[in-house]
Amino acid sequence: MNDPYKVLGVPSTATDEEVKKAYRDLARKYHPDNYHDNPLEDLAQEKMKVINEAYEEIRTQRKNGTSSGGYSANPYGNAAYGGNPFAGYGGYQTYGGNPAYQRIRQTINQGDLNLAEELLNAMSDHDAEWNFLKGAICNKRGWMDEAKRYFTTAVQMDPDNQEYQRALDMAEGRNEPFQPSGFGPFSTAACDNSGCLKYCCIWACCNALGGGGYWFCC
Amino acid sequence: MFGYVRPAVDKLTEEDKERFAAVYCGLCHTLGNRYGFAARWILNYDFAFLAILLSDETACSCGCCRCVVHSFRPKKTACRTPALELAADESVILSWWQLQDGIADHGFWRGLKYRIARFFLKKAYRKARELRPAFDKSTQQHLAELSCLEKENCSSLDRPADAFAQLLSDAADSVPDAVKSRVLRQMLYHLGRWIYLVDAVDDLRQDAKEGAYNPVALRYGLPDGVLTEESRQALSVTLDQSIRVMAASYELYDFGLWSDIVQSVVYEGMYAVGHSVLAGTFRKRKRKKQADSV
Repeated sequence: MNDPYKVLGVPSTATDEEVKKAYRDLARKYHPDNYHDNPLEDLAQEKMKVINEAYEEIRTQRKNGTSSGGYSANPYGNAAYGGNPFAGYGGYQTYGGNPAYQRIRQTINQGDLNLAEELLNAMSDHDAEWNFLKGAICNKRGWMDEAKRYFTTAVQMDPDNQEYQRALDMAEGRNEPFQPSGFGPFSTAACDNSGCLKYCCIWACCNALGGGGYWFCC
Repeated sequence: MFGYVRPAVDKLTEEDKERFAAVYCGLCHTLGNRYGFAARWILNYDFAFLAILLSDETACSCGCCRCVVHSFRPKKTACRTPALELAADESVILSWWQLQDGIADHGFWRGLKYRIARFFLKKAYRKARELRPAFDKSTQQHLAELSCLEKENCSSLDRPADAFAQLLSDAADSVPDAVKSRVLRQMLYHLGRWIYLVDAVDDLRQDAKEGAYNPVALRYGLPDGVLTEESRQALSVTLDQSIRVMAASYELYDFGLWSDIVQSVVYEGMYAVGHSVLAGTFRKRKRKKQADSV
């Protein structure tokens, strides 16, 4: 196994607080919410696992060693990140309706979006679940605008469903994304004019050439 | 491509700024050496960013070069690497097919500038096509899809953006490392989606004037090419989402010495550019900047 301190990016002399902070920052970065419907979700889970293991190891080392006592428990609770906290679309066990949906959720989980879409398109009843799954497929493909439309319809048809509401919240950007230190919570709509517009004016000279490409490329 | 991808300069160290400039100059020199002087005119920031993403993350050797723009003081320039060559080849191919598209979309007089540009790029394109036949083919195919969607006046944002995004993400295929290739594919897909949408917003007014296809105008019902507050909000959300996927994907691979540059693009630069395009100030800045530099 790699050096757990290296994994968390702290020196081995770091205090418990510093270790905890480094762990929290990384856990926030690779949090499943940031990889929801991202085809790279598995890589993020892998990262999360390595970070959890490193944190656990440092904790154990320090508990057994002389460095510190009374180390607090994993602030995130290992279980939360251990498995797939999303349980993907396959972990949708309580669904009492059409078993065909169960199969489609599994297909989406396995990453076979074309098959899942075919199965959905063959169905005639376009209910809330149908719209939700359509939206999930769009999201995985990166078709965010269409996904939002489907999620909106799903929520309209079944306003009490938490899962649909959560998907819509994410599609409307209401979740808080990870920001590395030094970067503000930027968004395209609310970008502070004073600080935000300082992009690349330092190569004005190159621009005479580079910008020249603009007029015929567009 | 169009030069929308900019790092946020105030977040970069002097060393990073210099490195970014070196890649930009290196790409320009690579284009010049490989394709002749005319090809240098297609250079823009988007291609420089593509070169950075494709570059080796452990080393960047630089030399000092003079060129027309920097004729008195030699400039630090990235040496030719396979990544720069790939970025140069792909930029020639992309620019060529965009010119073809421009010629098809415009009449004789309006299309004249595209025709002239095509004349100068022809030789370069032939060479690039020989070097990267697969990329040429997929570019041609995706742009054909795109023009089909334009003809049927497709009112979806995602469908035409998908054609352009797929095209760009194909550049990731040439990366040997499996994880990097997956991460890049995802980043380039959303980079392509973002560029396509931002460009559509940037062109709103002109397309409305010319009666040309514009997916943003069709999606939000903007016949006069002016964004309403509601459509601006909705567009911001969808642009943000692509940037967030890019940022999340970026975190899954160690871009080594390019990390800070890529980070400043995906955590700030793209938001800032998107904001100024939506506010309608991007073109003005560009014109002003060009006027300043002359």
